[in-house]
Amino acid sequence: MLSEKAVVEINQIKGRYHDAQSSLLPTLYVVQREHGWLSPDAVEAVGDLLNVPKAAVKGVSTFYSMFRHKPMGRHLIQLCTNVACMIMGAERLVDILKSRYGLKPNSTTEDGRFSLVIMECIGACGTAPAMLVDTDFHDNLTEQGIVDILENYK
Amino acid sequence: MEKFLLKNIDNPNSKDVNEYIKTEGYKAISKALELKPSDIIDEVRRSGLRGRGGAGFPTGMKWSFAAADPKKPKFILCNADEGEPGTFKDRPILEKNPHLLIEGMIISGYALQAEYGYIYLRGEYPRAKDILKDAIKQAHDKGYLGDNILGKGIRFHLHVHQGAGAYICGEETALIESLEGKRGQPRIKPPFPVNEGFLSKPTVVNNVETLANIPYIMEIGAEAYSKIGSPDCPGPKLYSVSGHVKNPGVYELPMGTTLRDIIYAHCGGIRDNKKLKAVIPGGISTPILSPDKIDCPMDFVNMPKHGSMLGSGAVMVFDETVDLAKVCLRAMKFFEHESCGKCTPCREGVGWMRAILERICNGSGNEKDIELLTEVSKNIIGKTFCPLGDGAASVVQSFIKDFRQEFEQHISKEAGKEIKAAA
Amino acid sequence: MITVTINGKKITLEKPVTILKAAEIAGIKIPTLCHHDMLEPYGGCRLCLVEIEKMPRLQTACTQYVTDGMVVWTETEKVVEARKGVLEFLLINHPLDCPYCDKAGECDLQDLVVKYGPATGRFAEGKRTHPESYDDPIIVRNMERCILCARCVRMCDKVQGASAISITNRSSKSFVEPFSGGRYNCEYCGNCLTVCPVGAIMSRLHKHAYRPWLIEKEVDTVCSFCGVGCSLTLQVRGNSIVRAVPKIIGSLGKGLNKGLLCNRGRFGYDYVGSTNRLDSPLIRKDGKLERATWSEAFSYIANRLKKIKETYGSNSIAGIASGRCTNEDNYVFQKFMRVVLGTNNIDSVAGFAYAPAQKFFESIFGQGVTANPMHGIANSDGIFVIGGDPTSVNPVLGLQVRAAHQKGVPVITSGYMQGLKMFSSKSLIPNPFTETTLLASLLTGLMKERPFCGLNSAFEKIIRDIQPVEIKEAEEICGITSKDISYAIDTLSVMTNPSIIIGRDILQRAEGHTNLLLLAALIYLLNGRIYLLSELPNEQGLVDMGCLPDTLPGGRPVTVDIFRKRYEEFFGVEIPSRSGLSLMEMIDAAHANKIKAMYVMGEDVVSNVPNTKHIKDALSKLDILVVQDIFMTETANLADVVLPSLAWAEKKGSYTNLERRMQMLGKAVDGKGMDDWQAIAEVSRMLGFDMDYKDSGDIISEIAKVSPLHKDISYEDMADGECMWPYKGEPLRHGMSIEGIEISKFEIRKSKIGNRVYIGIDNPLFHAESLSRNSAALHSIAPETYVRISKVLARELSIANGDYVTIATNSGSIELSAQIDSDLPENIVLIPNNFDGKGVFTVMNWKMNTVIKSPAMDFTEAVIKKVAHVSKEATIMN
Ligand SMILES: Cc1cc2nc3c(=O)[nH]c(=O)nc-3n(C[C@H](O)[C@H](O)[C@H](O)COP(=O)(O)O)c2cc1C
Ligand code: SF4
Ligand code: FES
Repeated sequence: MLSEKAVVEINQIKGRYHDAQSSLLPTLYVVQREHGWLSPDAVEAVGDLLNVPKAAVKGVSTFYSMFRHKPMGRHLIQLCTNVACMIMGAERLVDILKSRYGLKPNSTTEDGRFSLVIMECIGACGTAPAMLVDTDFHDNLTEQGIVDILENYK
Repeated sequence: MEKFLLKNIDNPNSKDVNEYIKTEGYKAISKALELKPSDIIDEVRRSGLRGRGGAGFPTGMKWSFAAADPKKPKFILCNADEGEPGTFKDRPILEKNPHLLIEGMIISGYALQAEYGYIYLRGEYPRAKDILKDAIKQAHDKGYLGDNILGKGIRFHLHVHQGAGAYICGEETALIESLEGKRGQPRIKPPFPVNEGFLSKPTVVNNVETLANIPYIMEIGAEAYSKIGSPDCPGPKLYSVSGHVKNPGVYELPMGTTLRDIIYAHCGGIRDNKKLKAVIPGGISTPILSPDKIDCPMDFVNMPKHGSMLGSGAVMVFDETVDLAKVCLRAMKFFEHESCGKCTPCREGVGWMRAILERICNGSGNEKDIELLTEVSKNIIGKTFCPLGDGAASVVQSFIKDFRQEFEQHISKEAGKEIKAAA
Repeated sequence: MITVTINGKKITLEKPVTILKAAEIAGIKIPTLCHHDMLEPYGGCRLCLVEIEKMPRLQTACTQYVTDGMVVWTETEKVVEARKGVLEFLLINHPLDCPYCDKAGECDLQDLVVKYGPATGRFAEGKRTHPESYDDPIIVRNMERCILCARCVRMCDKVQGASAISITNRSSKSFVEPFSGGRYNCEYCGNCLTVCPVGAIMSRLHKHAYRPWLIEKEVDTVCSFCGVGCSLTLQVRGNSIVRAVPKIIGSLGKGLNKGLLCNRGRFGYDYVGSTNRLDSPLIRKDGKLERATWSEAFSYIANRLKKIKETYGSNSIAGIASGRCTNEDNYVFQKFMRVVLGTNNIDSVAGFAYAPAQKFFESIFGQGVTANPMHGIANSDGIFVIGGDPTSVNPVLGLQVRAAHQKGVPVITSGYMQGLKMFSSKSLIPNPFTETTLLASLLTGLMKERPFCGLNSAFEKIIRDIQPVEIKEAEEICGITSKDISYAIDTLSVMTNPSIIIGRDILQRAEGHTNLLLLAALIYLLNGRIYLLSELPNEQGLVDMGCLPDTLPGGRPVTVDIFRKRYEEFFGVEIPSRSGLSLMEMIDAAHANKIKAMYVMGEDVVSNVPNTKHIKDALSKLDILVVQDIFMTETANLADVVLPSLAWAEKKGSYTNLERRMQMLGKAVDGKGMDDWQAIAEVSRMLGFDMDYKDSGDIISEIAKVSPLHKDISYEDMADGECMWPYKGEPLRHGMSIEGIEISKFEIRKSKIGNRVYIGIDNPLFHAESLSRNSAALHSIAPETYVRISKVLARELSIANGDYVTIATNSGSIELSAQIDSDLPENIVLIPNNFDGKGVFTVMNWKMNTVIKSPAMDFTEAVIKKVAHVSKEATIMN
């Protein structure tokens, strides 16, 4: 299920903690990076690797909104619509994504290019509105700007 | 005043250890390691430093509790979850001045005789994660971290631990649960983390900004430090200002600077010279204030007197164009989404408030809804397991108290329509 | 001393407790939902809010501890308002389907709403919807009713240790589910059902089958499945058991199981009402078993036994007793054999391991050395488990080990133990049948660390004479790394009052006796407390009642005149002074036509003794085989007379559990059969020896007179469930003698087992011997038998999970579906013995261990082949 590389990395991670379960979140990140999401098999594999009951791993992974439990598009757009971004026009950006790419929150475009997740505050309120595309920050977004930026993600 | 927390952040290489050292960085360590751990704790106590995470708990006192507990090993956790909407004050430290935080943690670790530290970093800061990892490695290579710090046989190991999108994990006991690889739900207190925290060992949880203040205290001494800003909660403070001001951003100012100064003197006032309608002073879970209250000093002591809280010092400024009912609704959506689900009033009640607000905002509300909203909020306040639910309810109450008309508009607007339809 | 005032009532307490507890002590009830006395405080539901003077906020009574001088009010207006509010919140998403919900009538939420007034229903939006789940055969999950108190999850994690369920998602979107999202695939202890305060998780077996208020009576009794003897309550309607629940008062579990049960105890009782129950005596007439009247049957048996006794002598008759029958049944049985038929040929499957192990340890440490309260396990400072997985043989005892581990107590396990996988500090899995070497190396290591205490110099001498085995050697033979062995030695060596838990597997070996000696030595060195796993509810009672070839009731050796005399005087009859035959000796004797008649009470010998073919042949040679049972077992099938007896829930009497605690059964329903003791009494009357017992009470009072161990015992003594060894009696204090231990006979075989494949017994959690064969519920959990095969072996033979394989041995061959297991050593396959005609004993062979006179079941070689076609029905070819 997990690649050699992932297992090696996970064992390194274990080394940073006094008990195996503490390495659960970082481990889930490794697996999510590798597969794009946390499939039931992946969750089970993590449980075996860390000797944590698989049901517990599921309970933990579904508690955190940044772990994905269904496959995602090639690029993940995490757009903040919390108050600061909202009053600076984030809601219009949501409409744009819909009209331009047919992309609704918590969904993926037909071509599997983008997935959109609405975020609570991502700490860019001073340069709102803002979003994360994969792991890149983009702020001071405008209606035209967001499209230009996304065009760089194929 | 001269910047300390945001020192040399304009330098594009500020995150590099050598740049940091150039500007007196890591001096405080050598100074601290000369002192007895208890002396450092005492110094911090006398400095009057209070936690910057929101609760404003005296840091020196917290440390002395943990130091007094014989259990080993001890842990120091940096709370870099910065989840409070409107807050982005820790981010410049994490991304531009990581060594300041690391230095602060090393000193704290030594003071507490804690050999292990973790930075619990919110998942939404992927860049900060890489920066911190590099910085930690640099510090290691320079001998500031490891088994024999500066050849003094002192041990301190530091790691970054990434959260995964859960506001509640900013609450210290939930943070600890999360660090232990569990669902991030708050724990019963007592026992407090200082006695039974991470892996049931004595644990101090401090905010990024709090820890970043430690080197400063070491550098200028408790005396000098305690003279900065408000006497009963001194020190420099980072205010993150967002919304309709000309120059939003993070400002390092003496604790106790008034809202008015922050908005007008430092942020250049309301943009497009519009009128100020309201301010949320300390992040979304602090009560909203009307313009007549902005002369109050922004600190832990004075804000409550004016009906709000300093919180994380996240000032959100709303001009006259803003529909506050919608703001309130958005805030409730946030709290509903972030409720950990452990306790009934928050899990069920906050969603209910959101539903009522939704009704009101999309025009299908009625007059009774505002009373119902108040009722529901009353049934939440003071009955939740942790402050999250309380926060949500008090926010609603503050909106209704000072901005009732904002809600009534939506309701009467609807009523008006009906009349037209009838005619 | 802490003084608190609750609702004006002053109470003083030794140590601080929660306000909730304090109130309880003061007789004040504070409503709760997420709190349960079996679980740690949680503080989630917020229903227990109370007002404390000098505190602005209301506090939760379940988490807040009292302090001296604290003044608490539990029903002020403020408090009542708050509770109303909380209840209203709970009802936002809780469906109002009480008329349809099975929980109605015993639902905490419903009761509270009644108490605090119904919510005014101001919530206008739609409720959370979540379809009821029927994916599981046993548990129905209705997440619309769930109030997220997490009681089930906490029970499953922290108490049962199964961690099979968890809360999925966050906030108001959270709900409870098993990993699969559908079927639970868990241990099915059902302890989550006990703690669910609403109708969110319920037993599917009872779905709409009954309403709490329709229960006609509740009968307290103890479980009939294993030697733990959990207390439970049978709820009866009409003449049938509608539900078995743990005995819980308030929210405090009663009995040694403290409110916990395992799947068998909770769901398995339905065998009592099975349609397969025998309802009439049967007599074999020209080859076929045909219905007969009781008196026909009795006189038939009497006449045949009489003749055989006259022509071939008493010792041509043998009797097999049962650990499923009561003390009273077994007492009467051995009396019948000894006094009426005049033979000591009495034994049972308890003679395979449990009895000889106990006898051996008692001969060294004194009688009663295994009589240790189960809760000592969680309180000991270390645990060593060998010879069986307690979590499947004696599940509720197994929980003690898990609890200990969760408290940080070191647990060392030896052998393959699924249920303790996550609960052991070190799990040693030696190559098959090499425990002797492993034990010897542990002992050798410990002797270097731990000095002798000098208490028993004779035994110390014996220990010194045991040949040492160095760790390196053990590594080679057992296939366990030196590192692990040393770790085990170091961990063991610091224990001061460890619990040593011993299962039968370690004894049913060619070197069973050597293993016993090594264990005894280990126990002596570590000053350990012994726990013998016991698969039968009254295995100990059977022993204590004297259903052994060499022991009289109360553990008195029959060969010692002074003891025997006492009984002879009491019965006015002579009892043979020589020990009788052990069960396996009886079988061989039957083969050799030396045993002509066999009387079997409540034991399916054919199914529960290795080498089915061999035993069938033996029984077929008998002149007469009498079987008393509740089902038409494979043994009954061979009988000349079959007498239907009463099942556990249909009779009065007592059991003695593995702690040697004596507990009473409660009669819940009427059965068609006859009490085992009564049937025997009838036969013996016809043989001219009157046994006029009116009821089981008469028998207990006779036992109280004749058995020194049970001196003056009565049902009153057992009423409170605390009737512990040695009761009011006189145990035999002959310990510290090491008679019967000829060290010369004990040698440590160090040959490697090579690359052949052998057969072992699997103890599945969901079945109990042959009894569970007639529980529909347990079969719905685990319907099919299987063979456990190691990953390695599976790869070699390219077998995939579920593939059918044939296992052929010199005593038979059987076809089973494979279950691949990564923890199993490669050269052994495990087969359970709980499925009709497909049990491990159909292919397993045995040799007599002449030292402890029990069957050695190791080293049955097997040839394993993948079956090309996938057949659904496993078949046997003998
Ligand atoms: C719901 C909730 C969220 C919180 N979020 C944060 C946070 O994001 N960052 C933080 O430093 N403290 C946060 N806190 C405060 C912490 O619980 C804790 O008081 C703080 O980290 C202590 O550090 P300090 O003493 O340096 O302030 C939060 C508290 C609550 C109740
Ligand atoms: S108030 Fe209750 S439900 Fe809300 S976050 Fe805190 S503990 Fe969780
Ligand atoms: S019983 Fe105290 S909060 Fe649930």
